Amino acid sequence: MSPLFAFQLRRVARNKQFVFFTVLLPALFTIFLTKIIGGQMPGASERQDVAASIMVSMMAYGAIGAALGATIRISFDRASGWLRQLRVTPVPQTQVVAVDVTVGVLLTLPSLLVVALVGRFVNGVQLGLGTWIALVAVLWAASAAFVALGILVGLSLDEKAAGGAIGILGVVLAALGGLWWPVELLPEAMRGLAYSLPSYWYAELGRDVVLDGLPSAAAVLALAAYTAVFGVLSVLVGRRRPLYAVAG
Amino acid sequence: MASAPALDIRGLTVRYGDTVAVDALDLSIPAGSTVALLGPNGAGKSTIVNAVLGLLDPTAGHVRVLGRSPRDAVRAGCVGAMLQHGGLPSEARVGEVLDLVRRSFGRAGGAVAWPLEDLVATAGIEGLLGRPVEALSGGQRQRVLLALALAGAPPLLLLDEPTSAMDVEGRRAFWTTMRGLAGRGHTVVFATHHLDEADAVADRVVVVAGGRVVADGTTAEVKAGVGGRTLSFTAAADRRFDGVPAVTAVSRRGSTVTLATSDADATLRALLAEGGLPDLEVRGATLEDAVLSLISTRRRTTIGATR
Repeated sequence: MSPLFAFQLRRVARNKQFVFFTVLLPALFTIFLTKIIGGQMPGASERQDVAASIMVSMMAYGAIGAALGATIRISFDRASGWLRQLRVTPVPQTQVVAVDVTVGVLLTLPSLLVVALVGRFVNGVQLGLGTWIALVAVLWAASAAFVALGILVGLSLDEKAAGGAIGILGVVLAALGGLWWPVELLPEAMRGLAYSLPSYWYAELGRDVVLDGLPSAAAVLALAAYTAVFGVLSVLVGRRRPLYAVAG
Repeated sequence: MASAPALDIRGLTVRYGDTVAVDALDLSIPAGSTVALLGPNGAGKSTIVNAVLGLLDPTAGHVRVLGRSPRDAVRAGCVGAMLQHGGLPSEARVGEVLDLVRRSFGRAGGAVAWPLEDLVATAGIEGLLGRPVEALSGGQRQRVLLALALAGAPPLLLLDEPTSAMDVEGRRAFWTTMRGLAGRGHTVVFATHHLDEADAVADRVVVVAGGRVVADGTTAEVKAGVGGRTLSFTAAADRRFDGVPAVTAVSRRGSTVTLATSDADATLRALLAEGGLPDLEVRGATLEDAVLSLISTRRRTTIGATR
């Protein structure tokens, strides 16, 4: 483990807001939504379906928040002058972004695991062991799309705009991508928008795994495409404006 | 490699659009010296520092740091720097930041190990290691940044306006530290517009104006190079000094006139021939007089050249 990796991981994990919004809040939502909506269902099997669906949505919601929150902060590190300071130490510049990507990927895992545990042990969602493992693994791997998005936003925006973007992106991706309520409840016009958001396809991956044990090709392709686009754009922005460039 | 100068700059030119920040500048600094880069804001001091650190790519010319390219020198842990736009990370403790940077120098190899206690004492950050970065005062922050610059005991230290956030006492302590480092064989290059700092600390002063070196030598040489004397005396408000020989600058404060002269003998003789010089005082030029004179000369020549 490189010293920079340990350092960054500690900084993000120490942030109470981060832990609240990415782990605690999605876990609480999972419980409340399942109580409210699941309670209106007539039979046990419908309640099962609703509980599983809500759990998947909240896993996605938490993981997206974690991926964005952990990576957009690269903008804050530029604004404080820290990235410029790091540039005049022997720490290689290539390591700086690589470490933030790794931290982002790693920190989506607690959201996924905690919500899954709540789903299983509080809400009684029943899946085979293989399905549980596949569910967490697929969502973890696909979180790369949101890590790439966070890096892109963090490299592109200044401190204030980036701070706002964490919250706004999280809300837009959740509300319009069908994480807080099913896409079917959205007005016809907005449903089209939902299908164009990475958050919809991300949750779709999870629903596919729960239903069939495997993600659908469409969802895999969509997420891969988003990851590639965000990744390429990040590289382009990073080339135009080096990490050590003075903010503003 | 041991014989390579700490810093070797040849023909360095940096342009930002139409503005020439540094103009075909040559500068060689042997290892072990303490050099002040002196000049007004916008003279090109920071641009030189940034070029030496590889933070910008020069339009033309070449920079070698201990025989290496700027980037290689930084990667190899040969350079420590306090930057004008450098800063500390949020959500971290001072000790964690310092530890990270010390380890990075340790990994780069080559750097002499600098025991933590010694480093902390040298930078004057005793008792701050457990403190969150957000809780530091401006002066403490600067000292932590100094500790980061010193963390790898790098052979070359580059300090860009290092005392800007410090009070008088902090400044004095800081320069005592710098003299100690120079005594241990470090090369210290600092940019400043505080002339007293340059006068007290540097064994060589490089005066920069308009992106060029306008004077380079010991502080005594720089002072001597501009004539070395100022005359002050009381004079009537309408008395003119246009035809007086060797006068390089005239200033008035109330009824007191101060003349800078490149030849005190000639100036005095001419003035005495015109009449009395009540309250006459003659003194050697301060470094400030010298620099002001050099910079104003430079401006005149620049204006002359563009016509």
